[in-house]
Formats: sequence, C-alpha cells, structure tokens
Amino acid sequence: MKLSLAGVKVVRGDWSLSAEGVFEDGIHLVSGDTGSGKSTLALMLAGQLPPASGAIEREGIESALITFQFPEFHITGPDLEGECRTWDLDPTPVLKDTNLAGKKTLHPLDLSRGELKRLILACVIAKNHDLLVLDEPFSSLDSREKERFCATVSGRKTGITIIFTHERVHFPRVSRIWEIQEGVLHDRGRLPVALSQWNRAPAVIKKLIARGRTPENFSQADLLEAACRT
Amino acid sequence: MITAENIRYRTIDIDHLQIAPGITSVIGPNGSGKTTLLKLLAGIAVPDAGTILVDGIQPRNAEIGWVNEFPDRNILFGSVFEEIASPLRFRHLPCSEIEQRVELSMKSMGITYLAARPVQELSGGEKVLVALAAALISRPQVLVLDEYDSHLDANRAAEIVRIIRKSGIPTVIHCTQDCEAAASTDSTIFLETGKILHSGKPEDVFALLAGTAYYPLLW
Repeated sequence: MKLSLAGVKVVRGDWSLSAEGVFEDGIHLVSGDTGSGKSTLALMLAGQLPPASGAIEREGIESALITFQFPEFHITGPDLEGECRTWDLDPTPVLKDTNLAGKKTLHPLDLSRGELKRLILACVIAKNHDLLVLDEPFSSLDSREKERFCATVSGRKTGITIIFTHERVHFPRVSRIWEIQEGVLHDRGRLPVALSQWNRAPAVIKKLIARGRTPENFSQADLLEAACRT
Repeated sequence: MITAENIRYRTIDIDHLQIAPGITSVIGPNGSGKTTLLKLLAGIAVPDAGTILVDGIQPRNAEIGWVNEFPDRNILFGSVFEEIASPLRFRHLPCSEIEQRVELSMKSMGITYLAARPVQELSGGEKVLVALAAALISRPQVLVLDEYDSHLDANRAAEIVRIIRKSGIPTVIHCTQDCEAAASTDSTIFLETGKILHSGKPEDVFALLAGTAYYPLLW
C-alpha cells in the first residue's frame, strides 16, 4: 500500500502548509507544534479535505478512517452499546476490552473524556482499515491506557497507520518520523537514524541521545533499554 | 488555602483535603473522578455532603478561573479577541482598559496573530490557549485547569506553566496525564475510584508510584 503526496498545499490567509512524500505500510509518526497544521494534514490524508493544490494518491488502499482529536465528534449512538453498533460492532467484546461493560447504558458523553477516547479508539482499531489516520490518539488517555493503545496499534499486521501527536513519553514502535516545521512537512526518515534528525524530539529522547544512548526505536521498552544500557 | 471535608458526590469520596497555594497537579486513571473533583473545587458542582472552602468562603462566591477539558465547551464568542475580552466585558470595565488588557494577554500568551481569527477555525491547542487567556485575564484567586496540556506541544505547555507562575495567581490546580509535568508542580494528588490514594510533594507521591506506568520516565 502507498499514500503519495505530490506538491500538496493548503493556504489560509498568511498561514500555509506544504507536503511531499510517500507513506508506505507501517506506523508513521507526525509531530508538530500547536497550530502547525497536524489536524489539517490528517484530514487531507484521510480524504476528508481536498488540498488547495497538488495531489494525494492512494495505491492498494481499499478503506480509510480518521479518528478526530476530539472523541466527542465521533458520537452517534444513544448509549455505549448503541455507539458500538453504529460502528457495526458487537458491543460485548468491545466494552469488555475497554473495561466499560459496567457503563453500557450510559450516554457516551457521560463518560470521562479518557474513557470516551478509549471507547472510540477501540471501535476504530476493531474496524482494521487499510489506512488509519489517528489525530492525537493519546490525548486524555492515562499512562496505562496509552501503553495499552501502543500495544494494540503495534498489533496491526498490515496497512498504513499515521499517528499525529505531540505525546512526549508513550509511543508504539514506529517505522518513520515526519515533522511539520515552518509550514512544511519534513520526512525525518526511518528509525533509528530519524531520531537524530527530529528537531522537536521529546525531552527523554534528546536526553538519551545526548548521553550517547540513542534508542533503536522509542517504545517504552526501547527507551528503557537505552537508559539501562551499560 | 482550599480545604475540603467529608466530600461525597457521585464517585468522589474524600474525608479530608487541603490544597496550599502554588501549583497542584491531580493525576490518576481515566474515570477516577479527576474532572469531578475539579468541578467541585471550582464550584461548578456542589457536593451532596461535605464542605469545600476557598480561603474561608464557598467556591461559588470566590473568583475562580476554569478551563474545560473539552476545548469547544470553553468558547462563547465568535472571535478570539471577543472570547478573551468576555470576562472583563461582563464586569462592565471601560472599553479602553479591556482592549489594553486583552492585547497584553494575547502578547504574553504568544497568540496575537490569532486576534481576528474565528474561534471555530482554530486548532484544538489554539482553542485551549484562548481559553487559558480568558481564564487568566480576570486574575482569579484560584485557577482550575482540566487537562489543558493534552492539546499542547511540549514547548508551548512549558511556556504556559511559566506564564501561570508569573501571573501571581495564588492557587492553581490542574489535572494532567503528563506525569513529567505533574512531577514539576508544587504538590500532587493521585486519585483512584474517587478516593485520594496519595497526596503531597511530587517526589513523595511518585515514590509510591514507582514501577507503575505513572512513574515519570525522565526520573
């Protein structure tokens, strides 16, 4: 599978974002400052927003899905069971896996934001689309759930997963890092080389690199291995 | 000083809580009652039983700034300027003073470039910055922030902490999922199933969380 961007540009007043590159099978991480255009690019990659110029081409991608930064934007069901059914999923295993079975009759907005995020992410992952665009999937999740979600995403055997995030500690193992800076999407390359090219890398990664302990990747296990390396 | 005694409300079950001036972080698993506790401390919700006092008065009678975890729920007005100006307009301050304070506020937050933008066109992080500016502008005695940092990049979040510390607001309570950020506050509360499991200085609280996913990786 392949998602190619050629001369893609979006302009809003004096703000613009340009993007070039090819996203292939695997997990991609896109980072960028607040307001840099992560959500805009996510919408374009998912086919929800046409670029002002340029082209986005899909090769071998039969299905695509985006999760919004705000989980409340996804709600269409009257309760948790109904919400799962709107995704065409059997509610029982989803609610059991997310530890929300005891709340199945609640309206989704009666959940805490982290619980709601957990539910929506579980529904999205269960659909197993070829292209999965995740906009800030970690926001509102607690540390345990972030790690659990990393494991779930890592379990996707095929397809392209693109994670837009400014998460600083919890990550799955990723194939490639991309970074939006000064209105341009930059391909920082494959791991582990990409880590030294990543300008706004999280503090923990910068600290490890400064100590000469560049991790192989940046899942918790990779970071701990690098930190404890002798 | 905020004190809470024998608080019972929904899942919240707290016998005693004292929050000293400074920045206090509230951490804990999703659904542990963090937002509910913050709403009680801000006076947005009233406990079924028990007493909460902010410097001796009820939260609803105190000057409290609040930022919701759902960025869109903070927004009342169409433009960024009007949103930040709104707390001052509700107090009928002179227009010239409002303009001056809003401009100063936007400058200190680094969001002057957003002034004329419709709020609905902003990114999630930018909406949070606007909500923070609106909460800070009335110089409240207590600032209650519900996971504002989950929408911000690391540099911006650190900058906001500097602005909050400089603002002179005596008591700031913020709920966060960023344990690294919580570790740098003045005190930390760890909540689980509506109860306070640990509270105190961050080093003492996190020492009790060693070996869990909540222990700061940078430590």
